[in-house]
Formats: sequence, structure tokens, C-alpha cells
Amino acid sequence: MNRKPIAITGMGIISAIGNNLAENEASLLESRHGIRKYSVKDPLIHQEKLVGEILKPNEEFYSELNLNPNEAFTRSALLGLTAAKEAVQSANLDLNDGRKTGFISATTVGGMDATEKYYFDFLKSEANRKFVPTQNCGIHAEQIAQILGIKDYVTTISTACSSAANAIMLGARMIKAGILDRAIVGGADSLSAFTINGFSSLMIYSDEHCHPFDDNRKGLNLGEAAAYIVLESGKSSANKEVLGYLAGYGNANDAFHQTASSDDGEGAFLAMKTALEIAGLKPEEIDYVNAHGTATPNNDFSEGKSLSRIFKSVPDFSSTKTFTGHTLAAAGAVEAVFSLLALKNQKVFANLNWKTPMKEFDLKPQTEIKSKEIRTVLSNSLGFGGNCSCLIFVK
Amino acid sequence: MKKIHIHSSCSISIQPGFQEDYFFEEIAEYAENGIHAIDPDYKEFIAALQLRRMGKSMRMAVYASQKAIQNAGNPKIDAVITGTGEGCLRDSEKFVEAMWDNDGGMLNPTPFIQSTHNMAAATVALALGCKGYNMTYTNNSNSFESAVLDAILYLNENPEEMILIGGLDEISEKTLEFWNSVGYVNSNNPKIPIDFKSKSIGEVNSEGAGFFVASAEKKENSLGSISAVKTQLEVEDPEEFILEFLEENGISVSEIDVVILGNNGDSRYDGIYNDLSETVFREIPQMIYKNLFGEFDTVISIAVEIGLKIFKFQRIPFALKLNNSIKENYQKILIYNQRRNKNHSLILLEK
Repeated sequence: MNRKPIAITGMGIISAIGNNLAENEASLLESRHGIRKYSVKDPLIHQEKLVGEILKPNEEFYSELNLNPNEAFTRSALLGLTAAKEAVQSANLDLNDGRKTGFISATTVGGMDATEKYYFDFLKSEANRKFVPTQNCGIHAEQIAQILGIKDYVTTISTACSSAANAIMLGARMIKAGILDRAIVGGADSLSAFTINGFSSLMIYSDEHCHPFDDNRKGLNLGEAAAYIVLESGKSSANKEVLGYLAGYGNANDAFHQTASSDDGEGAFLAMKTALEIAGLKPEEIDYVNAHGTATPNNDFSEGKSLSRIFKSVPDFSSTKTFTGHTLAAAGAVEAVFSLLALKNQKVFANLNWKTPMKEFDLKPQTEIKSKEIRTVLSNSLGFGGNCSCLIFVK
Repeated sequence: MKKIHIHSSCSISIQPGFQEDYFFEEIAEYAENGIHAIDPDYKEFIAALQLRRMGKSMRMAVYASQKAIQNAGNPKIDAVITGTGEGCLRDSEKFVEAMWDNDGGMLNPTPFIQSTHNMAAATVALALGCKGYNMTYTNNSNSFESAVLDAILYLNENPEEMILIGGLDEISEKTLEFWNSVGYVNSNNPKIPIDFKSKSIGEVNSEGAGFFVASAEKKENSLGSISAVKTQLEVEDPEEFILEFLEENGISVSEIDVVILGNNGDSRYDGIYNDLSETVFREIPQMIYKNLFGEFDTVISIAVEIGLKIFKFQRIPFALKLNNSIKENYQKILIYNQRRNKNHSLILLEK
């Protein structure tokens, strides 16, 4: 097995707790979450919802990013472009230096925020018809890659809530195989009536601030975000500042149910097991687990089970979805950035809102920010369809 | 990286290709757009209760994957890698329509659950009890190619495993109307077989799925191998793109026994293929397939299956010939595709 870790040389993020990396870092360090009532009055959403919203309208992104107002960019593409630009800049990449570069992005919402709005309007008026071609998931990656000038490889992954973790994993594998020298990898998902109503229809949308791994948890709050990290081969990253290394990754399927996770957490267990094997690490060498922790009764039970199976003694763990909400396809990348910030700051970030231990386990998340020596962080992303992925970051 | 070997396949499309050993003995004709794939007897593999709930993508994926596995002699499958450009379109539409109809009551979650693009790969994994690697690419008309690239990577990393690779896309009436409103669709005189002489504008849109059982090891009954795949979002000079790919793989144009081109009857973009037919591929056998299968993002999975069948039958079906050139022996096949001059791709098959 190829154990050579992949260098991470840049990152960019926009989420409910900040419009850039520095703002996200400050919010995490000050334990300041971004969950509040959705400010958008959407006729398709009938209840007040608590969300992790980025309080910036699309028009502002257009002007900040110097985009032509007549061109169609859906919100996921706007968020994605913002974060991807920051990642490229922070890695100091010269995209014309002849090295092979890939852009691998994840989304589940794609252009649904526009499609749901204009669905009965597309055929009646030309006004918003420019959004027809931006409906599907692949377009956002094309648009971002074209604007950044990434030509060698572009693809989009959609494996529900594990999507961005899989994008990061693919980038690492392509670099190890020598197909790419470096890759900008991550994901973007905006809020939409589609996903808010969808999770509400499944009765797993909490009317409170989500409290993962709490016995009285009532479900998730959705959020919107985009995050990307820059992966580079040893040669490509030589003489550069390295933020951390991606040491391990694993992908497995729970093969249990369309949406529910299994009682034994087998999929997550297998993904963590593979990631540890590839990293060449023992479970006891993990210092911090950034859990998937959506705060749905099913996820936290199943993930809790998988954690207690893989670790003899579960290390400090927390779900940072209490800060950002569940950002779906972007979550794996958002939490990759947070894992790297945990390594940088030597801090375990807080699992906010936690009060009551789950009765099934003796598992208590880290409820306040904590300083400790952190050399390794394991991050889980688990999704509908049994898609489970795990990433391990090391200093 | 080492090539991967394909042991079996099954496809569902607007031709009766799911029948074993189908080789264009009969050809379905159509005079419409938004053509639905011919349904096999899904009940062969899917219980009636489940079948009722499944959208077309999921039905096609489960049937084609199970049939491909059966055709390979029922090996244990270790990983599932799929590509879909549009995902479960109809379920997405249903959920949007339900949101607009709804005044705040409870919505049926089933179309929401089934709207996620990974649902086909997940359903296949669930049907097989396959807990291994599971991946879904959704990159427009390079979705299947992304899955193939991952499959090559994966089998080089895990040479002892047996995997499923699939491409699938469904059509829906509403989205077809949307596409028509922006000029993607041939609404004037859509026909299958496509008449290339009519110089029409727009695509004949259809649907389908192609699944393959693959591993790193060649087996006695292997159908052939996928040696290489390459995709590029934008290509300035397709000839250069193709020649570079061939050079990377150490073969010359004259060694290619037939090139499969993606002409789809949209005269705005078929010129890209026509130029190549008259230049770089001039001296070798050329064929098309979208004249019978229409256009969808993962239709290239059908081209791969046709290529593998050419290895088996050692001839090019008459209905697919683009020129009169033939070879005595078909050992190497190149597939080139683009859609609306984006997402250019090349796949190299070897016997």
C-alpha cells in the first residue's frame, strides 16, 4: 500500500461562521456558531427554520467575483468559486507552470436553488432561462475550473453527505498514481427549499439548535458552505509551507438501507479502518475525531457505535455542525479545513449545545474548546445511500 | 497504470441491447424526442414492491448490474463505481412539483430520497450487500469516463478485487422541455435512426444504462480491456488532443482498427467529428452509434459495450458504419466523444 502522505498547501472556505478562512478560524476559536433563523422568505418553505446561512445575497458575490450579471451562476457555484479562489491564492499556485492540476468538486444541490424557483417560469418567460443549463451538478465545477484556469482534469462527485470527502480522496489517489501533480478538492452546497423541505419530510430537521450526540437530539439544521483544500505531490510542494498532510482515507458502503445507517455502524467502521490502514496509524494514535455528528437520532447512534467499535477508548471528539449546520456535499471539505485548523491551533473545537449523554453509550463529546497536543485528526463523512468516507490529517 | 479487463456487460437503451448477444439484428425506430429506453423484465431481478417505488435510473441500474454479474458467472463484487450526468431526474422533478403544490403539509419523502445522484450505486450496493468502495460521478457528458478512470485507479490499487462500473441516465418530459427552450433539442424532425443528411439542429435525447464487471486480471472469457481513458473539459484542437493521447499510450492511428465517433445529428457540433473523419481518421474504419441510441450524458457506456461486442463478433454492424473501410481483425478500438464542444473524452479498448 502506498503510504506516502499528500501535502496540503492551501485552503479556502466560506460558511455561516465566516466569509473566509480567517473568519472561520476566529469563530471556531471563540466558539461562536452561525445558526439562526433563515432570513430568506421563500414561498416554498412554510415554517421558520434554523439554518447555517451565509448572509450575503448572490448579487454581492457577482460583484465581488467580477462576474457578468447576464451569465448564470447558481449559489453553489458562487460559494464554490469564492472558496476555491481563496484556496488557490493561499497555496500560492501558479496555474501556468506546466504542472498537471485537477479540480474535483462535490455537490448535491447543484443548481436546484434556481431550478426550484423558476420551474414553472422557464417555459413562460425568457427572463431566467439562462439558469436551465446550470441545473445539474456538473456545471458548477466546469464554471469554477474555467474561471480559475484549471484544464487538466475536472470532475464532480455526488455521494450525498460524503461527497467532498470523496473528492479529497480522489485527488490524493490521482496524485499518488502520478496522473496529477496537484488538485484543488472540496465541495459546495447552497441552501435550497428542496433540501430544507426534503429533510423536514424525513422528520429529521430540528426546530432547535442541533445537539449532536445528545440523548435528546431532534435532528439536524442545514447549512450552506463551500470549502476546498489544495493537495500537492512531494515534488510539487517542495520548498512550500505545508499546512498538514492527508495521510489516510477510506470509503465503504453500509449497504443497509436507502437513508438509515446500520445499528452496528459497519460502513463508518470500515471506512475508518481503511483510512487508518492507509495512514499506517493505530486507532490509539488519533488525537481528535471531527465526527459527522448530524444530530439525527440515527446518525449519531450509528456513528457512536462505529467509534466505540474502532477505538478502545474514544479520543476527544466533536461535531462542528453545531457551528455551520449540515452543509451536505460540502461538509467533508468544511470539516477537512476545520481538522487542519485543529492541527494548526492545537485545539479540539467544541461540540456546542450538548447536555445529556446518549443512553446507549458512555460517549461524551468535547463540549468546550480544549487545548491539547494534536498530531492526528480523523474526520468522518457519512451519507444517504450508505456512503461512508473517512479522512485522516496529520501534522 | 495497468489496463483493466472487462468480463461481462449489460446495457439498457432505446435498442433491444439487453438481450444477450444482441448485435443489431433488429433495430428500433422512433419519430419523437425524449425517447424512453426499452424495458426488460425488471422483475427478473427486482421484487414487485421495490420496483414500484424505483425510478427509471434505479431500475435500469439494478437490472443492468445484476444481469452483467450473472453474465460474468456471479462473482462476488467488491466495489461499485457509477457515473450519471443527471441522476434521478424524474424524482427531483416530482419533489419540486410537490413543493409547489404544497401549502405547508407533509411531503412524501420518497422522491427526495431518490433524487440524490448516488442512489443508483447505493441501491446496487444494497441489492448485492456490497460494503466496499462506492462512488458516483456526475460530471455532465464525462460522468461515465470519470467512473472508468476511477475504476482503473482502483483496480491498480486493489488488483485482487472484482468491481462493477456503470453509467446511467434517465430522460424526463419536463427537463426535455427546459432543454428545448434553450435550443439543445431537435424539436423539428427528430428520428431514430438519425438522418445525418438532414443537417438538423439539436439532439435526439434518450436514456439508458451500461454496466460492466471488471478486474485487473484477464480471465478466459474476458470480453476485452479498457487500456486508457482521458477527459478534458475544453479542447482547442481535437486532433492534437487525440494524437497526444495515442502517443501517451504508445500507439499510432494506423494501429486503431476502428474509431467510434459520437456524431449525434446536431449539425452545430457534428463538424468536430466530420473534420476528424476527413483528416486524422481518414484511412481507418470509422463508425457511429448515436444514430441508433440518441444522446445522453452516459451514452458512451453503450459505445464501450458495442466495442467489446466488435471484439467478439469481429465485424462492424452495417447500421453503424461511417465509411467503407474494414479490417480483417479487430484488436484496438478508440472511442472519441464530446457534447456541445465540451467534455471531450477518449477511451481505448483492446481485445
